[in-house]
Amino acid sequence: MIDKRPKETAKEQQTNMLHGKTRGIPTICYTIALLFVVGFVFWLGNANFISAYNLNTIASFGAILLMVALGQMCAILVGGIDLSVGGVMSFVSVVFVKVVPMLGYWAYPLCMLIGVFIGYVNGNILTRIRIPSFIATLGTGGILMSLAMLVAPVPVNVPSDSWGVLNIFNESFLQISNALYISVLVFLLYYIVLRFIIVGRNIFYVGSNIKMSWMSGINEVKTRNVAFMLSGFGAAMAGIMVSATSLGSNPYVGSPYILNSIASVVVGGTALTGGIGGAINTLFGALLLSVLQNGMTVVGVDQYFQQSILGLMIIISVVLTFDRSKTPVIK
Amino acid sequence: MSELNTTSSKEPVLTLRQMTKVYPGVVALDNVDFAVYGNEVVGLVGENGAGKSTLMRIMVGLVQPDEGTITVSSGERIVLKDPTTAIKYGIGMVFQEGSLVSNLSILENLFLCHELGFQQFGFLSKRAMHDAAVSVLAQVKIHVDVDTPVGEVSPAVRQMVEIARLLWLSKLYQHQNPILILDEPTTVLADSERETLFAILQDIKQHASIVLISHRLQEIVENSDRIVILKDGKNVAAVAASDTSIAEIEQLMVGHTFAADRYLEGDQTAPRAEEILKVQNLSKKGVFEPLDFTVRKGEIVSLVGLVGSGKEEVCKCINGLAKADTGTILLEGKKLSSGSPSHAVSAGIGHIPIDRREEGLAAAMTVAENINLLVLKSLKVAGMINPALERKNARHWIDECRVKTPSVTTLCANLSGGNQQKTVIAKWLSSRVRFLVLDHPTRGVDIGAKEEIYKLIRQLAKDGIGMVIMCDTLEEDIGLSNRMLILKDGRLVQEVACPPNQKPTPVDIIEFIV
Repeated sequence: MIDKRPKETAKEQQTNMLHGKTRGIPTICYTIALLFVVGFVFWLGNANFISAYNLNTIASFGAILLMVALGQMCAILVGGIDLSVGGVMSFVSVVFVKVVPMLGYWAYPLCMLIGVFIGYVNGNILTRIRIPSFIATLGTGGILMSLAMLVAPVPVNVPSDSWGVLNIFNESFLQISNALYISVLVFLLYYIVLRFIIVGRNIFYVGSNIKMSWMSGINEVKTRNVAFMLSGFGAAMAGIMVSATSLGSNPYVGSPYILNSIASVVVGGTALTGGIGGAINTLFGALLLSVLQNGMTVVGVDQYFQQSILGLMIIISVVLTFDRSKTPVIK
Repeated sequence: MSELNTTSSKEPVLTLRQMTKVYPGVVALDNVDFAVYGNEVVGLVGENGAGKSTLMRIMVGLVQPDEGTITVSSGERIVLKDPTTAIKYGIGMVFQEGSLVSNLSILENLFLCHELGFQQFGFLSKRAMHDAAVSVLAQVKIHVDVDTPVGEVSPAVRQMVEIARLLWLSKLYQHQNPILILDEPTTVLADSERETLFAILQDIKQHASIVLISHRLQEIVENSDRIVILKDGKNVAAVAASDTSIAEIEQLMVGHTFAADRYLEGDQTAPRAEEILKVQNLSKKGVFEPLDFTVRKGEIVSLVGLVGSGKEEVCKCINGLAKADTGTILLEGKKLSSGSPSHAVSAGIGHIPIDRREEGLAAAMTVAENINLLVLKSLKVAGMINPALERKNARHWIDECRVKTPSVTTLCANLSGGNQQKTVIAKWLSSRVRFLVLDHPTRGVDIGAKEEIYKLIRQLAKDGIGMVIMCDTLEEDIGLSNRMLILKDGRLVQEVACPPNQKPTPVDIIEFIV
């Protein structure tokens, strides 16, 4: 938040502290405003940007990013980070393609469980072996990437006689793809868990002040494990969706989502220090990123130049959304 | 040398005039004057919160005063904007917690950031540094391998390395009379090491001035030339060490003004008959010896003792934050499992920590979220936290504890210290605690909020909650408690009853503590 108000006198500061008047505009408003500005610019650049077809493209790309980002957000909210989301996504995605012909609909719960289980392993490496999540998930992410390549050294496809199983994602209702409805359901799940379920609330307490949480009797080991399990689940759902909607997969599908998921979370206004943020923030963060990536292609920005603009936009939006005044040391 | 002594000791080498520093809700320093003369040891004493640390932090440039001037012997007015500037004026401090980098060697620490003088042909000369390190350390009579990492040497050596570094730095900046500030230097030392330290200090005094901060009045009186006493951020007195006594200093430290009503002694209630907490044979090796005590319902028991007396650790054991080696703690006859905060919390033991921000609050979260932390289970409807119930519970306890907040969704970070503290208390009260450990409950809160916290404590006692309390000042301990337990060097040495109207005086108590 950029504070342009005139500097308060010591006395005013004191009374404001007392009465808590220092709250500004919620950071999420900046993200939404930025989303509209960016959308408007792309619309000026190419009127087709808001065509039904293109909006659908944005939505289907955004749906996948949203699910990875929601998971990533849980890991970040609890004060960690999950670099294994790309590995989870790739691994689950190729495993899903391989097992669908054998298991049919059972492939869905199996693949979700794989994601949750990997999250559980990540959580335990952090909480019991006590290795920072950055390193722990870097390791498991690498392992999963290589496992994904072992499972499917070449791109794999779902045989056409199993396509029926994938209709859960591929059919549409009211001209909107089911995949989108599913991502909305996943969003609601994260929203409810974080907002109304005790373990979700505990994620905020632990991320905000782990020592206080421990001293107040919160089971911080369980809380952090759950946060990483939620992260694994989001990445697994994204992996399933990629395979189901494109009727096949390759072991590299997850790679771009590692940084994009972190960027979505941060652009949405969730603090990397943990404890501040939420599902709605991440929804708009993921949306903004999807709009940017799609819009640049639509208006014809040189493909090699797109990454620079994306990087710049991430920095700009974090300048706007992240309340740096509450973080004494930025590292 | 004696000639130098007489000439330089007339003019102060550093003068601080009318130092004022206000923190939100607290006046840390109120027009305090302080001067350091050449070749002297000046003792600075005062209770916790008297303003000693703030004053010293100003002297080394860690804190900027709101008002006041700092001048050096030439009369030049200086601004100490950071510790680097301070050391250029020859002022350095040895911190209580130490300020060396523990994974670097003694040598590297000694010359850290000032290695340029050892450059030869653009490279650092290891040999020149080694020789310089040995000679610098010889000044403080330390003869160790200078390549040992600092983390591996004893606290005493570490302290000496810090002193040596400051001496060397002031020499580097060509200071005739550097000022060394030592903050509680003896807490980490054994008795023999303590004597060595003071012998060395007397040596250093020949070409430096030393500001000594210590809770051990004995060593202040024995080793200083002059003693400056602060109380509540104000100058109280400056006396020559040769013509004063510990008793006199104690008197000055705690002050004569003892408002009888300040701690609401009129509201003090007699504890009920039932015991609530029973501590049996509790001990922790190297921290405190086996001790027994009980707390009754509605009783306020104050634990008193110096830093290192073990009182903090006793409280940590009660809260399950530390594991005791022997003994048991019983709450209403039920044994608590050792070293488990969650078990202590579910048994009904609460904890108002000394450091609100680090241990008491999720500052980035709202007042309601903080108050409801312990009772979320009871705010569920159909398995989900119910926002309406959550607001209701928060409002109830905000009123009950008189937390001044614009709304339940205000972030705790935006409240004043006193209201943050009341939020922490509200959090525990809402969970219906039966026993509460209060670790310096009024630290860093203003006078008005202090009074409200005292009121709350009295109310809790009336409601039958047992309490163990540790306070900022002895007066507060005496004023609030029904009974005091005095610890010294890890032993329970004395029990003093504090019934209303028959309270002991601080001077009576200090006798047992020191």
